[in-house]
Amino acid sequence: MTEERVAMIRERLQAALPVEHLEVADESHLHAGHPGAREGGGHFRVLVVSEAFSGRPPLQRHRLVYDAMGDAMRRDTIHALSIRALTPQEHEGASA
Amino acid sequence: MDEVQEAIKKQVDSHPVILFMKGTPQFPQCGFSMKASQALAGCEADFAYVNVLEDERIRQGIKDFGNWPTIPQLYVNGELVGGCDIILEMYESGDLEQLVRNAGAAQGSGA
Repeated sequence: MTEERVAMIRERLQAALPVEHLEVADESHLHAGHPGAREGGGHFRVLVVSEAFSGRPPLQRHRLVYDAMGDAMRRDTIHALSIRALTPQEHEGASA
Repeated sequence: MDEVQEAIKKQVDSHPVILFMKGTPQFPQCGFSMKASQALAGCEADFAYVNVLEDERIRQGIKDFGNWPTIPQLYVNGELVGGCDIILEMYESGDLEQLVRNAGAAQGSGA
């Protein structure tokens, strides 16, 4: 169930954006007992590195990621998504 | 615009800084809402909040209002600033403090 959702997040992001680097972590276990967790929606964290974020402020970057998720957010398949959205240049800077 | 959207718009327009969250700053009911409200409190500026758990229509309606799928959501001067990640990023860079203090100033003392 969890692995399926991680795979779905990866697929949807890669289909929607030119993704250079991508990390998806399932953090649902950190929220056990939380109402959202009981309803079955998972908590995920993503690091997305894409040229598509160049020149875009954080709000727009996050919108691109949410848009890529499509109905999964609305239907609570994904209850919460922590997003780090970087350009390739920023990512190099962050990991240097 | 329906009744719920009207009500949200009224709240957003009448408070320069307003956080839609689960629970209250004193008793947050979600880790993301807790972090967001703590960041705002750390800016030492006045902010209003709406506990979306008190009204299921607002809880769903705010997602449509902001075209943003998650809660918390922060609005400053009527504009969506972002959710928890963006709020924390801006808090760490100092941008949040500047934004909310200026928002209050634009409306007078914020009192």
